[in-house]
Amino acid sequence: MNKNIKEPIRKKWIWIGLLLIVLGNVPWYFSKGLVEPYILGFPFWAFIIFLFSILLCAYLSWVCLTQWRIVEDEEEAEN
Amino acid sequence: MGELTFAGMDGIIILTVFALIMLVIGYFSGRGEKNIHESLSGYYLASGNLGFIALFFTLFATQYSGNTIVGYAPSAYRTGFSWLQSISFMTIIIGVYLLFAPRLYVIAKKRNFVTPTDWLQHRFNSKGITIVAIFLMLWGLGNYLLEQLVAIGQAVSGMTGGTIPYQVAVIAFVLVMLAYEWMGGMKAVAFTDVMQGIVLLIGIIFFVTGGVYLAGGNFSDVTRFITETEPAKTAVPPMEVNINWFSMLVLVGLGASIYPHAVQRIYAAKSEKTLKKSFARMAWMPLLTTGLVFFVGIIGLKLFPGLEGNESEQLVGLMANKIAAINPFFYWIMIVFFGGIVAAIVSTADSVLLSFSSLISNDVYGKFINPGATEHKKVMVGKIIGIIAIFGLLWIAWYPPGTLYEIFVLKFELLVQVFPAFVLGLYWKRLTSKPVLWGMILGAIVAGMLTFTGHKTVFGIHGGIIGLALNFLICIGGSYLASTSVSKNKILEEDMNAVSLKA
Repeated sequence: MNKNIKEPIRKKWIWIGLLLIVLGNVPWYFSKGLVEPYILGFPFWAFIIFLFSILLCAYLSWVCLTQWRIVEDEEEAEN
Repeated sequence: MGELTFAGMDGIIILTVFALIMLVIGYFSGRGEKNIHESLSGYYLASGNLGFIALFFTLFATQYSGNTIVGYAPSAYRTGFSWLQSISFMTIIIGVYLLFAPRLYVIAKKRNFVTPTDWLQHRFNSKGITIVAIFLMLWGLGNYLLEQLVAIGQAVSGMTGGTIPYQVAVIAFVLVMLAYEWMGGMKAVAFTDVMQGIVLLIGIIFFVTGGVYLAGGNFSDVTRFITETEPAKTAVPPMEVNINWFSMLVLVGLGASIYPHAVQRIYAAKSEKTLKKSFARMAWMPLLTTGLVFFVGIIGLKLFPGLEGNESEQLVGLMANKIAAINPFFYWIMIVFFGGIVAAIVSTADSVLLSFSSLISNDVYGKFINPGATEHKKVMVGKIIGIIAIFGLLWIAWYPPGTLYEIFVLKFELLVQVFPAFVLGLYWKRLTSKPVLWGMILGAIVAGMLTFTGHKTVFGIHGGIIGLALNFLICIGGSYLASTSVSKNKILEEDMNAVSLKA
């Protein structure tokens, strides 16, 4: 296999990472009363969920840019 | 959306300007490009040559419609902080793209695919799969288009304070859309998306600014107020809501990424670099759109407490009226904002229509009715049937359904059943056509039956997901039982191994 080629599906850790972030992104693990303290106006649990949402955006954006490279070199060479 | 007291004539002026800009962009996109009307790829995929700016904005403006604002702000209002899910379910779409877009892009370029069906036919070579997939995709697209047509009318007549009645509003914008799409195909759609997307973004940002200003500038006060008046909306959601949240992530993620117009944007990318750069930017867009809209809904809980059901659907209009009353600057910003909503709806509708036409041109007409026809003729058939379909859907749109969100979930239920064939087929050589066909059919039947019998969700899980689970089971189980050896189809072998594509 050509070492320069990167395809996200072949990298298990990408999907494990994604699964962990998604698991953190849904508030199933909070106990009922975790509304306070408020952070930046968010109830505590919602603030954590919001942070995970930002992390999800950052992670997927980063994976797109760095872990995906199949025909890029070839296409760039053609230009 | 209720009547906006601030709009009227000024609204008409802004809408007219927007419509003219769209027409001019459409005209220049099509001018001097003979290829657009002579080839399927030219008309439907802008010859697979969309650069970063056009591709990013067409992904953006297509995925985020006016409904994302007008329908989601009330959802946040009704459900409270658990509507934070709208950020994640729009982001996860990029994660699902990463499952299949990299390889599909390479194969599609090599094989000159025009529609998603081209891939399915190439992979399975089964008439049954092709026909069922076309049916499911046309159903999904038709429903989606219908929803946009309903929304255009509501937005325009709301914005002009009823000066332009609902029906006239829809017809006017449909004609504008048909005109620029006729002239420039995908190129016109993508270039108008640039303008439409920018207006929408500016509008949302100013809208939230106005909302925060009205609420007194302190978000903590808003949350405290909600906790005192409606504690359930700031409380940790109960288990069923969380299950539903997971289910939403799966349904929207799989459904939205597999939409024919979404898949065709993969085909239309100029290069892999352009595509991945666009996706990388798209991953951030939920924060700027559904995230900000979420804030609007939450702020609305303080500004307009106690709205129920259909009343809450008016939230964006109510708030815009208040914001417009702050000062003349915000007045004009709100008019541009509502123009932006209309533009956003049109930008989604045009892409859906183009995709609908392409399925007719390339798949129904080109594969079954008259395969020998010239590409010019195929394009023409797609264009004309597209127009007929629009007017058929308009006829239905005159009787708009109550809540926008309800129909949003409905369209995914069936469409998502194409997913196993589409994505498993990319990687798993053993996947054979019979189980795929039955998986698709039975999955769609289960999803449809659950929805129509009023079981849209079971324990918080969407009917579409239950159907999809069955679908996957049949595909995988059936393929294991059906074949003992891995197929040795040479073309497939080549496709499946992305590396060999470099040869």
